[in-house]
Amino acid sequence: MISARTLLSRSAPLLACLGLLGIWQVAALILNTDSFPTAWQAICAIPSILGDKESLINILASLRRMAIGFSAAVVVSIPLGLMMGRSRAVASFFNPLLMVTYPVPKAALMPIIMLWLGVGDLAKMLVIFLGVSLPVIYHSLQGAKAVEEKMLWSGAAMGLSAAQRMIRIVLPAALPEILTGCRTGLVLALITMVTSEMIARQSGAGNILFNSLDMGQYDTVYAMIIIIGAMGIGLDAAFERLRARLVKWSEPSFEIPLSFA
Amino acid sequence: MKVLPSLRGVEAEPVSARKNAAAMIEIDRVSQVFRTSGRQDHLALSEISLSIEDGAFVSILGPSGCGKSTLLYIVGGFVNPTDGTARMKGKAITGPGPDRGPVFQEFALFPWKSVLGNVMYGPRQQGVKSADAEAQSRALIEMVGLKGFENFYPKELSGGMKQRVALARTLAYHPAVLLMDEPFGALDAHTRTRLQNDLLNIWERDRKTVLFVTHSVDEAVFLSDKVVVMTRAPGRIKQIVDIDLPRPRRRAELLLDPRYQKYVVDIERMIDDTSENQLP
Repeated sequence: MISARTLLSRSAPLLACLGLLGIWQVAALILNTDSFPTAWQAICAIPSILGDKESLINILASLRRMAIGFSAAVVVSIPLGLMMGRSRAVASFFNPLLMVTYPVPKAALMPIIMLWLGVGDLAKMLVIFLGVSLPVIYHSLQGAKAVEEKMLWSGAAMGLSAAQRMIRIVLPAALPEILTGCRTGLVLALITMVTSEMIARQSGAGNILFNSLDMGQYDTVYAMIIIIGAMGIGLDAAFERLRARLVKWSEPSFEIPLSFA
Repeated sequence: MKVLPSLRGVEAEPVSARKNAAAMIEIDRVSQVFRTSGRQDHLALSEISLSIEDGAFVSILGPSGCGKSTLLYIVGGFVNPTDGTARMKGKAITGPGPDRGPVFQEFALFPWKSVLGNVMYGPRQQGVKSADAEAQSRALIEMVGLKGFENFYPKELSGGMKQRVALARTLAYHPAVLLMDEPFGALDAHTRTRLQNDLLNIWERDRKTVLFVTHSVDEAVFLSDKVVVMTRAPGRIKQIVDIDLPRPRRRAELLLDPRYQKYVVDIERMIDDTSENQLP
C-alpha cells in the first residue's frame, strides 16, 4: 500500500503541470485573442502534428542533431574540464577562451557559423556542441578541483600513475559534479536546438514552430511548445534516472523529488 | 636544551640492540620551506635527522604547525623536501610507492567503492587475482572488526568505521612501513581509545614499522617504542624519548603504571617548554 503522503509527493509534478495548463486555459479565455489559443485547443492540435509523417521526420531530425551535438560536447568537455581542474597550466590556457565565449548567446553565433558551414546539420550541431560544452567543462573543472588531495596520494601509494589517477580517481570522484553539468547541458542542448532551427529554417521542431507562427497557425505553435516542453521533461527525467544510478554512492539518504524520475 | 634525568633517550643514543636493528627509514638533514605568495617564506622543517629501525613504532609528537605531518609526507614521497634526503632501506625516496602505506586523518576512502572495493583496490592494482584479492580483503575487513559491512559505501559508515576501512585498505597491499597522519584525530574520545587498542593488537601480530604523527601525548606513549618530540615552527627535533614499557600493552594496566604516568608528564612538560620558549 502506498500512503497518501507518498501518493501526493509522487503526483506533485503532474499536479503542477495540470495547474499550469489550468491557468493557461483561464487566461486564454479571459484574453480571448486569436494569437493566444486555449490550452485545450493547443492540446487538440498535438495528435495532428504527431500523426503527420513530415512533422515526425522533422522532430526526429532535431533529436538526432541534438544527440550528436550533445554527445560530442560531453566527450570533449569532460576530459578538458578534468584536466583544467587538475593542471594550472591547462586551466590558464583555456580559461580566457571560455571567458570570451561564456556570455555570448550561442544562437547569436549561428549566422557566422552558417557562413562557414552552410545552413545544414553541421552548423546546427556545432551550435549545440558549443551550448552544451560550457556547463559540462565548468562542472567537470569544479569536480576535479574538489577531489581530495589525500585520495590521490592514497592512489599514488598503491602505485597508480598520474594518468591512472586521472581516470580511476579524479573521474569517478568528480562524477556527481560532471553529471550535474551534463544535466544542465542537456536542457541547453534542447534550447540551442530550437533556436538554431529558428535562425536556419530547413527542418526540425523549431522549423515547424516558427513556420506556423509566420502563417498564424497559433494552435500549432502552442502545440509545438507543449511537445518541446514534454521532450525536455522526458529527456531530463531519463537522464536523472541514469544519473541517480551512476552516483547512488554519493546521494544523501533522503530524497527531494526534483523531477519525474 | 635540558635533558630530564629520568629520560634515557637522547638524539645521540646508539641504535638499540633489536634483532632487526637495520635502519628502515633514514631522514637526513631534511628541511622544508613553503613559499607563500606575498608573505615571507615559511620554514616548516629545519635540518631534521632521524633514523627509524625496522619494526619500530615511532611517534612524532609536537604542537600544531610544527611540520610533523610534512615530515611524514616527505617519507611518503608526497612532498619533496627543499633540502636533504629521506631514504628507505638505503634508497633515496623520490615519490610515493606501495612500500609505504599512508593512513590519513581524513580517511581519504574512495566513496564510489564499497568497503570491499576499497580494500581490494591496492591488491588489484598490484596484479593480485580478483578471487585472491577478495579473500585477503575479506579477512582484513574481519580483522579490523567490520565483518558484515563489506558492501556498505563509505558515506554509510561512522568516522571510526571509515578509519578502520582506511587501515585495512592500506594493510591490504602489504606496505613495509605504515605512515599514520593523526589517524584518530577526527574521532571522539571513546572511538579513539578503541581504535588505539585495536591498532596495537593488529600491530603486535606482525610488527610493521610504523611512523605515527599525533599531537596527543597519551596516544604517543601508549602506542610507541619511541616518541620524537618536536619544537614549534620551524620544526626541529627537541628530544627522542624511548618508551620502555612492556608489550603487549594493556590500557588499563598502563594507566596505573607509574612509569607510564611519568613518561606522559615529562613529555607534556617538554612540549610546554617548547611552546613558551618559541612564542614571539
